[in-house]
Amino acid sequence: MAIQPSGVFFENYAQDKSLIKTKKQWFSLALFGVFLLLVPMIFGPRIVAISNIIIIMAVVVVGLQITTGYAGQINLGQAAFMGVGAYTTGVVAAKAGLPFWLAIPCGGVSAAMFGYLFGLSAVRIKGFYLALTTIAAQFIFHFAILNLPKSWFGGSNGLTVEPANLFGFKFNTDSSFYYLALFVCVIMVIGAFGIVRSRHGRAYVAVRDDDVASSMMGINVIATKASAFLVGAFYAGIGGGLWAYYLRFVSVDQFTLFNSVWFVAMIIVGGSGSIVGALVGVFLIRVINEVVTTLGPVVSEAFPFVGGSIVFAAMNIILGGVICLFVIFEPKGLMYRWNIMKTSYRIWPYSH
Amino acid sequence: MIGEILDYAINGALIGLLYALVAMGFVVIYRASKVFNFAQGELVVVGGFIVWWLALDLNLPLYLAIPLAFMISAVVGYVIERVFFSRLVGESVFSMVMVTIGLLILIRGIILILFGAQVRPFPAVFPLKPIIIGDVLIPQSLLYGGIVAIVVAIGLSWFFNHSRRGLTMTAVAEDHQVALSMGISVRKSIAAAWILGAIISTLAAVIFLSGKSLTFLASEVGFIALPVALLAGLESIGGLVLAGIIVGVVQGLAEGYLDPLIGGSVGSVLPFFIMVFILFVRPTGLFGWKTIERV
Repeated sequence: MAIQPSGVFFENYAQDKSLIKTKKQWFSLALFGVFLLLVPMIFGPRIVAISNIIIIMAVVVVGLQITTGYAGQINLGQAAFMGVGAYTTGVVAAKAGLPFWLAIPCGGVSAAMFGYLFGLSAVRIKGFYLALTTIAAQFIFHFAILNLPKSWFGGSNGLTVEPANLFGFKFNTDSSFYYLALFVCVIMVIGAFGIVRSRHGRAYVAVRDDDVASSMMGINVIATKASAFLVGAFYAGIGGGLWAYYLRFVSVDQFTLFNSVWFVAMIIVGGSGSIVGALVGVFLIRVINEVVTTLGPVVSEAFPFVGGSIVFAAMNIILGGVICLFVIFEPKGLMYRWNIMKTSYRIWPYSH
Repeated sequence: MIGEILDYAINGALIGLLYALVAMGFVVIYRASKVFNFAQGELVVVGGFIVWWLALDLNLPLYLAIPLAFMISAVVGYVIERVFFSRLVGESVFSMVMVTIGLLILIRGIILILFGAQVRPFPAVFPLKPIIIGDVLIPQSLLYGGIVAIVVAIGLSWFFNHSRRGLTMTAVAEDHQVALSMGISVRKSIAAAWILGAIISTLAAVIFLSGKSLTFLASEVGFIALPVALLAGLESIGGLVLAGIIVGVVQGLAEGYLDPLIGGSVGSVLPFFIMVFILFVRPTGLFGWKTIERV
């Protein structure tokens, strides 16, 4: 908790508990909101497309932040949970003809059930045993989609989804979809702030810090761990639903172990145990990703001997390097560093 | 009919022994440093590329190339330990898992930059002609590989359970702090484990890839070795042989009889179902130490 700047003090509990404490914070938040709304008008279609991906991933990674950052349960299967959400959304939209505002929550719920199933294993095991289980979730998801009858999920051909449709208005362009995704994302992020401040969120943190001590305090450790997976997977499912409506095509290769590792990397970079950290991590990693994708062809022209696989190789090296460097040198992520800087600025020239 | 079952079972068992050999790399590193190395498959690929580079690019004869490859991979293992894991002594499990996963991706990227994504031929270390006994057809590389796996398993379990150096490494696996206070050098022990793990991976690469082709995708074998390591119990080297045979036979029979029924890759995913089952029912595996943290 960063120290408040001089002159900011609270006269009642409601002020102390509130997320946004000062007028300046309200102002900058409003400014940021207006900026977000104006993105499709200011920038070209490419930036809007990138923003859409960032927004969808933000939903998924905020969910992972709750499971991993707050409740401390390693999860390397977030992409599989996202895939379950995307497939469910696609199927109920295409086969049952549900409108998107029902299909996306359906995806969330089914992903939550799938996640809950694997969350139950967290009840018995922890650490890398849990990492193994979630990796197994990833493999089992792939196997199930590819081997179930083609008429269910399309098998290796994937699944085509009609654009989202609200009273005849079709979200079939990048900019129109941007507003839909932004709307869902804002709801989910506000929800996440609510969850982590609530009784459940405090239980997550307590279990993360020490499960024996938290069970002494009367927290139901088993239910808490399972519900952390439930909530995290629900977010992944909602993100998956948006993904299905955005690309209008769902296939198994979009949800690999590699993607799950990306999600965890975003949390490590942004800072674990912070919703804003998750958002910062998504933004930074996606931007790096886009820069490499853009520069890749230029580099491979300049150095022809490395060939066309340079983009993929460079992505690997950057992602792997970022994970290793952050875990070794800055394990608490950028938000932690930012908070330290903010605090030391506020109390300067004193050290405490 | 019996011959067919025997064919699937024996070949499955031999492939299982190969998984056990890859899994030995995990277990050696785990036993000495408490790091569960998800990048083991990448170490196998690194070993494979070193052998390819020495034998086919530099045209060294195999009897020179393979020992030289062992030496180079030992250096690779040592460098990985120095650069990444010596800084992480006593850190949380989450950090360790993430660094090994970061390493997995990093090594894959470096291999792609150094060697490219194209398919390379791999030298035939063992004769290609299969041995035929009755109806059973056994590739020689698998047969010798199985024998090597068993010999290495016996050697390593003697080393860890009876030699002084091996016992100190076991102490490190029990608890870093306690080992330190007993005057054991945790750093040396971890470095030795990584060198050993990298050499075993290269050995597995030589057997696994002999006479086949080599790409960076060969690292998949590292993931199939996970269920084997877990079934054996992460600390038991002798148990790996049994676990490898079990997983291999189950996989072989599933590929033979279930795949035509259900269609697709039941055989390749079955080990993971076994793994989830073990994680739920008996996370210590068949022969693991009973120190697993339960809730």
